[in-house]
Amino acid sequence: MSSPRRERRKADPALSDPERLYVITGDPDGSERAALDLVTMIVSKSEPSPTVQPEQAVILRLCQAPLSVAELSAYLSLPFSVVTSLLTELLATGLIESRAPIVRATLPDRSLLEAVMHGLQKL
Amino acid sequence: MARVESPQAGREAPVARALLLPVVVMAGATAAAAALVAEPARIPVVWCGAFATVVVAALAVEIARRGRTIRRRTTEYQQRVTALERRIAEHDEETVRIGKELLPSAIHRLRVGNSPDEVLRDVVDSDPVYRHLPDAQRSLVYTVLDIIDNEEATRDSAQRAFVNVARRVQAIVHRQASELREMEEHHGRNPDVFDDLLRIDHGTALIGRLADSIAVLGGARPSRQWPKPVPLFSVLRGAMSRILEYPRVDLHSIAKVAIIGTAVEPLIHACAELLDNATRYSPPQTRVHVTAVEVQTGIAIEIEDGGVSLSEEARARAENMLARAQAGSSMNDLGESPRLGMAVVGRLARMYDLQVSLRQSAYGGVRAVLIVPRAMITTGPAPGIAHGIGATSRPTADIDLADMKHVVPARGRRRKPSPVAARPATGPVTAEQPRPVTPAVAMEDDLPVVTEWTAGGLPQRRSRGRAPLGSHNLPAQAADPTAGRTNGHGHSYGPGQDNSKEPPPGIWLEAFTKAANGVPHEPGPDEDSDDAWDKGDLQ
Repeated sequence: MSSPRRERRKADPALSDPERLYVITGDPDGSERAALDLVTMIVSKSEPSPTVQPEQAVILRLCQAPLSVAELSAYLSLPFSVVTSLLTELLATGLIESRAPIVRATLPDRSLLEAVMHGLQKL
Repeated sequence: MARVESPQAGREAPVARALLLPVVVMAGATAAAAALVAEPARIPVVWCGAFATVVVAALAVEIARRGRTIRRRTTEYQQRVTALERRIAEHDEETVRIGKELLPSAIHRLRVGNSPDEVLRDVVDSDPVYRHLPDAQRSLVYTVLDIIDNEEATRDSAQRAFVNVARRVQAIVHRQASELREMEEHHGRNPDVFDDLLRIDHGTALIGRLADSIAVLGGARPSRQWPKPVPLFSVLRGAMSRILEYPRVDLHSIAKVAIIGTAVEPLIHACAELLDNATRYSPPQTRVHVTAVEVQTGIAIEIEDGGVSLSEEARARAENMLARAQAGSSMNDLGESPRLGMAVVGRLARMYDLQVSLRQSAYGGVRAVLIVPRAMITTGPAPGIAHGIGATSRPTADIDLADMKHVVPARGRRRKPSPVAARPATGPVTAEQPRPVTPAVAMEDDLPVVTEWTAGGLPQRRSRGRAPLGSHNLPAQAADPTAGRTNGHGHSYGPGQDNSKEPPPGIWLEAFTKAANGVPHEPGPDEDSDDAWDKGDLQ
């Protein structure tokens, strides 16, 4: 099941770049990631200043209109975890805002279970 | 013969002169004795006297002759001694000349690639000074050249052997790096695995640099080729990614130029070695500052550390090492010095016309300045721009659309099957609504219970509670696909591109959301479950 996905994600060698992802992510040990989901919406609060990292500057520019983390990951062609650690830094400096990730309920509620049951019965 | 003849010509006079005195004295004495003795004894006395006179004359002649012979021999000996001394001096001089002139030039010719025979022909036989070299010396020179030739061949093959090994290591590292990149993409949504992968990636990059160093010290050029220009910023980050303590490096105000493809790899390597030196020989809490400014001759990359100041001797030693490496010193000199990096930098500088100098830094440490010649720089757009955007940080929108172009179509291509295939799937989906809704709810948490369908038949989630930033934007985008173009990046879909095939971002965000929610669309039930599993991993 994972092999077709692997095929799809194979990086184009012509577009390969000398910099490895850990340089973009920054410090490996201090990578406390904020709780960001793929569908968390990100919006920038200010224009990029010249001192921020280029990828972060691009995030700030792209997020002038709200964008999801998944979209950012796609536009930057960077893996999700890299984007989240970049966003974490930006969140810490207050340059962006995110919609708080949705809290998952500990137990499914009764109506949902009933809906599932009905759905199964209809099959 | 002439030498012998000339004394013979003047021989008569001295013989007569030497003969005269004893003969006259003897004759006088005989006459006196004959006059004094009695008459009867006079005759024998005269006879005796005459006999003695003759004997004396004969002896005198003989003595004179021997004396002359002795004198002649003495002069001959002296002449021979001087001649021999002169010859010895000549030999000495010749030996010195062979040592100082002949051998060096012969060895130089040998190093250029001639065989010992050719060298002997060119250097010894064609030179009138050495043409009459004695056979012994000739064979000596030949033996020396032969030994040197053998040694060079041995060293060459040794160097080739380990360059070969380094090349293989490079190939493995390269393959592993690209596989790791693939894995990083694959496990991008699992932070724990991702961080571990990054750590392995880092270690691999360090091994790769070591292999590169071995190859460079073995006289080979860096193997990795970059087909397109790469921005200097990416080059420097590439250098950072090959050292151990990359988080300590700060890049400030990097000139916005790109490095032509052929010069990228050596520049990355040289910068990595300099950065490695800077981080290694400075306290771990200090930062290393890198700037790159344009100068008359090209780009000056300055690497400053806040480490121990380099003493004057240490600086001289390091510079000396650089200079020796630039002059093409052999591997033998490297053994004694632990700073392998300087030798590598020096060699790269020599191969690629870079200028390196080490100075005292204002921070107290060392400031290494690497001057990249103008020939390596291109100011045109760098098509191979690393993350598209990495090179420029100008806050204009048209920059990213130019830079994004290579990113977005690629994504669009990849995403194309899913939205296109999703559209026909909308029919059945809307027809029997309850079935897809239920798994959607099952997959997601209980907050977005309201699931609506847009006019285009795409599912739409609305959160029940707060609706802060931009969540209200989502339905608007979905309802009007053209609204996605106002997003600042949307207009990167130029007129040349097929809009019907490549939906604006809003649309495929919807598709993505749908997939993430677990709403099945026709062609890919496996993908859905895959995503669902990944999501499960994430949470």
